[in-house]
Amino acid sequence: MLVHDSAKKKSMEIAFRVRRQTGNDPATYQTYKLDLEPGATVLDALTQIKWEQDGTLAFRKNCRNAICGSCGMRINGKAALACATRAADVVDERGEILIQPFGNMPVIKDIVVDMQDFWKHLDQVEPYVSTAARNTPEKEFLQTPEQREKLEQSGNCILCGACYSECNSREINPEFVGPHALAKAYRMVEDNRDDQTEKRLERYNQPDYAWGCTRCFSCDEVCPMGVQPLEQIQKIRTKLLHSRKLPENTAMRHRRVLVAQIRNSGWLDETRFALEVFAKSPEALLALAPLGLRMLLKGKMPLRHHPIDNFAEVTTLIDAVHQDDYN
Amino acid sequence: MTTTKPLKYAYYPGCVSRGACRELYLSTAAVTKALGIELVELKSAACCGAGTFKEDSELLQDAVNARNLALAEAEGLTMMTQCSTCQGVLGRVNEKLQASEPAYRERIDALLTTEHHYNGTADVRHMLWILLQDYGLDNLKAKVKRPLTGLRCASFYGCYLLRGQQSGRVDDPVNPKSLEQVFTALGATPVEYRGRTRCCGFPLSSYDTKNAFAMAALRIDEAIEAEADCLVTPCPLCHLNLDSRQPEVEKAIGRRLGMPVLHLPQLIGLALGIESAQLGLGQHIVSTRPVLARLGL
Ligand code: SF4
Ligand code: SF4
Ligand code: FES
Repeated sequence: MLVHDSAKKKSMEIAFRVRRQTGNDPATYQTYKLDLEPGATVLDALTQIKWEQDGTLAFRKNCRNAICGSCGMRINGKAALACATRAADVVDERGEILIQPFGNMPVIKDIVVDMQDFWKHLDQVEPYVSTAARNTPEKEFLQTPEQREKLEQSGNCILCGACYSECNSREINPEFVGPHALAKAYRMVEDNRDDQTEKRLERYNQPDYAWGCTRCFSCDEVCPMGVQPLEQIQKIRTKLLHSRKLPENTAMRHRRVLVAQIRNSGWLDETRFALEVFAKSPEALLALAPLGLRMLLKGKMPLRHHPIDNFAEVTTLIDAVHQDDYN
Repeated sequence: MTTTKPLKYAYYPGCVSRGACRELYLSTAAVTKALGIELVELKSAACCGAGTFKEDSELLQDAVNARNLALAEAEGLTMMTQCSTCQGVLGRVNEKLQASEPAYRERIDALLTTEHHYNGTADVRHMLWILLQDYGLDNLKAKVKRPLTGLRCASFYGCYLLRGQQSGRVDDPVNPKSLEQVFTALGATPVEYRGRTRCCGFPLSSYDTKNAFAMAALRIDEAIEAEADCLVTPCPLCHLNLDSRQPEVEKAIGRRLGMPVLHLPQLIGLALGIESAQLGLGQHIVSTRPVLARLGL
């Protein structure tokens, strides 16, 4: 009896404010109140609402154990898995939890979004170890624990879509393949069983692939599996920058010029930076002329660039790093 | 809370405030002076790499910034940044190195010249955080000579400030409040809008200009819809894409935006009664006159 009483005390009433929408109809918000046990997850709550209060509420679920990646949604504005989020941990001071569907994907109904582009973009990076490698070999493919370890982090992806939902680049560029696809792309170029590395790098060396990311950290922030897509994208970029075979594009040139300039004077000379990045593209330079003029007139373009004090230390340091790291 | 001992920091100005955003350097100097905050400028600090070093080599980002942090350590001071990106990069390197294996720290140390040694003892914090945590909003409020009454300010935090580092964060990245708290302390009105935690598009601006401008346009439009008089940012890189390139953004979307973008210390300076010339408010690409007019200046 005593146990029962104290358990009862701990259960709390929470109001779920849920965004409701069918297709392109205007969205509305509906609030459901329910008593929850202390350990209840947001998914438990939504399931209870569906069974007991409103059978028309639509959301996806399957494993209830952070494995299948079905139950992704925005909880209080943050993309997360409903089955891995305890209601008590996220309820606000008014006793409310806000439930919305993922962003960057059209709503089908309520919390269910259309993930077609998400899958299409994943497909675009060819997320399978190459066909040649999949032909049954004489003996098994061997992988050392070190080789396997490199695939671990991106291999943990459960394709839930949380990163894609919050991706700033995806929001404005529907062709950008997105963090999930690029995390997978890194896994592919790092896999020693794959024999298409060169071709992959060639493909990923484009604005809609590895260079399309604006480094906003949103994917790293929300990923429930610690995949850290941005970290993986940066590793692809390192591979692209260090490839001797790929033609140099502006994104690569931007990076090479930046490192070279800092090596020379310790910091960035913005005017020369622009001139050097676009040295090979007269049209691009011409397009920048009005900007240059405006900056000049407002005193935003220093005409002389003074190196930082002791800049030679930075030169030595950068050279030493390259010696250490490049081989 | 009354400040007992004078506040003093190792000042990491960053590249942009010494180049394309001189007005940030000027206004930081004017505001810290007015608030009685002493700055020791780290004149031999190098560019943090703005996230680009890491793409060349993570060791490069770690080593150059270990040297930068070592300069602050040598002064025995907390490092003060005034750029969301510098803060995110330096803060992230610092937390990484502090937690890393001795072998990696030794590798870094071997790369640094004998004059510098990274110990992991210095803290690195953005000016915004320092104002909140060390100076105190009440003290700031007490210094306000010209309350910014009626000025509707839309914050623009910058990705690196909100999400760059894991430890020592001041704000919840989904619902940050620090800039809004400063606005309120200065008598201004914070404007709620979606874009404040999102990306300005700057990292794409050199090679994917179309999308960089589309991103900037979206943010400015969101602020306009929320009836903001100006954007206020603690990040000069955001300022570059949102202010310096706004005429090009306007051209790309075929519409006038005319949204002034202030650096955080400029807004504070206005409230402290500092002359707008000293704050470099005439050095913007988008005129800041509507802001001054709103304040009756
Ligand atoms: S990377 Fe993370 S957030 Fe993105 S789909 Fe995979 S598990 Fe989900
Ligand atoms: S860091 Fe890049 S991939 Fe990740 S959410 Fe931001 S833009 Fe998208
Ligand atoms: S239901 Fe499978 S991950 Fe949540």
